Amino acid sequence: MQKQRSYQSYLNRFGWLCVTPAIVLFCLFMLYPILSSLYYVTQKWRGATSTFIGLGNFVRMLHDQVFLQALGNNFIFMAVQIPIMVFLALFLAVLLNQEVQKLRGPLRLAIFLPSVTSLVVVSVLFRMLLQTNGMLNNLLIGAHIIKEPIGWLSDPFWAKVTIILAMTWRWTGYNMVFFLVGLQSIDPQIYEAAEVDGASKSRQLFQITIPLLLPVILFSLVTSTSGTMQLFDEPNILTQGGQPYNSTMTAAVYIYRQAFLVNGNFGYATALSYVVVLISGIFAFIQMRLLGQREPDK
Amino acid sequence: MSTVRKWSLARIISIIILLLAAAISIFPFYWMVIGTTLNPNDVIKGVLTPGKEFMLNWKKAVSTYNLPLYFLNSLKIAVLTVVLGLIVNSLAAFGFEKYPSKARDKVFNILLLTMIIPQIAIVIPMFRLFAFMRLLNTHAAIILPAIMSPFIVFFMRQNFQMFPTEIMEAARVDGASEFSIFWRIVSPSMQATYASAAIYLFLGQWNSYLWPLITILSENMKTLPLTMSSVMGAYTIEYGALMVIVCISVLPVLILFLSMQKQFVAGLLGSIK
Repeated sequence: MQKQRSYQSYLNRFGWLCVTPAIVLFCLFMLYPILSSLYYVTQKWRGATSTFIGLGNFVRMLHDQVFLQALGNNFIFMAVQIPIMVFLALFLAVLLNQEVQKLRGPLRLAIFLPSVTSLVVVSVLFRMLLQTNGMLNNLLIGAHIIKEPIGWLSDPFWAKVTIILAMTWRWTGYNMVFFLVGLQSIDPQIYEAAEVDGASKSRQLFQITIPLLLPVILFSLVTSTSGTMQLFDEPNILTQGGQPYNSTMTAAVYIYRQAFLVNGNFGYATALSYVVVLISGIFAFIQMRLLGQREPDK
Repeated sequence: MSTVRKWSLARIISIIILLLAAAISIFPFYWMVIGTTLNPNDVIKGVLTPGKEFMLNWKKAVSTYNLPLYFLNSLKIAVLTVVLGLIVNSLAAFGFEKYPSKARDKVFNILLLTMIIPQIAIVIPMFRLFAFMRLLNTHAAIILPAIMSPFIVFFMRQNFQMFPTEIMEAARVDGASEFSIFWRIVSPSMQATYASAAIYLFLGQWNSYLWPLITILSENMKTLPLTMSSVMGAYTIEYGALMVIVCISVLPVLILFLSMQKQFVAGLLGSIK
């Protein structure tokens, strides 16, 4: 009995030994930064020294038009880009699933391919593609679709469109693959039964396919929302740090600029990042509720 | 019935739409390869037939933009992160899963909870921490925080769950030590899991931009993403040479994807930050 207990405690010690390296790294590079940010957020920086200002950074934020605009842009990108992308991905997945047999593999591979590029590569490519005298404008003018070149990178409205185009190109195939996996797990007999009952194709889509795919669609919404809330690489490279006139400024780009480029004001930037955490947390909470406490698939 | 469906209008339209989507998806890849052979003006104008300047662009990428150095920097950082990350995270996943304890489960839940914290929220205190440790402008600054990944621990733990505990018991009876059970029995049977985790860790580092942008200050320490973004910020841009850098930075990921599609998709699943 005594021997049994000491063996159990040996196993327990070995368990701790296994997780220790991970926990040490976690404490250093996750827990400590989180805790120390509680200090930074109350400080106002002047050069290398800082003074305590309590909640002053949060008060300042309320009058910061650029930050409010940046948050607004995050929400615009979410509200416009995510629905377009999810719809497209779903549409392509449904077409791939029922209309082609031999072509399915190659087509899926091709449409997924943008997912192998990094966000930096996407930004660099689209910035070359969308110059005022660039390829896309030349193509559109050549086809007589437009007369004057579009200012993809210089016009506040079109710059937003540019970011949305780049994100959609990068992520549609990625989401489509998950939808396709979801579609293939639906039992074909359900459709056969619907066919016998005389349900039209569109009715099958809205009353069978979409309800059964809902968990996968929600998963894609969760990841896309949190990704868009942190949008950084594209506006920082593609539209040169949120240009023109802050029309593509996002919260992440603004925080980065406040902390590391413009002011070196770490306290204020930390306070701004708290807002991003809070908003992400609210979204995550709502979406978890929608998923109904479902266990993650993996 | 089947012959009618085969050539219905709806089917033809569907195929056209899919082919169009595939063409739009592939086009930039075609363009980046063609771009490596063109002079800068033709890259921007949108010439789509191969030119004759590949060697010139290659030389510019190598000498003007120092491509080999940045490629090796990126590779070194990614490979070290993968190796250390696999060891640390798989060991942790094994400990959490195969040696059940309430205390460790609480720790595990805390790890999971921090997964929702966006990167931008911790880069400022992290920057202060690395400044304090005098590790700014080193590759260690990029590698160290990326080794431990709560997502990978979670992912590997799920997979360790499927490994039968009876086999571990049998090995104990045969006198195997706990560590050799992990190293010689459990790990070798989980190759697919390790491959997915390795791909996830590799992609995260190979593509990482924000954190290196903050920590790396000197030219010779840069990674490929930093190089591409600083080339884009210059006054005159050698677009042909830039296309060479773009191709080189896409290539390893493309090879990984084409050679291990299944593990790649599994590894990607968690990689939206």
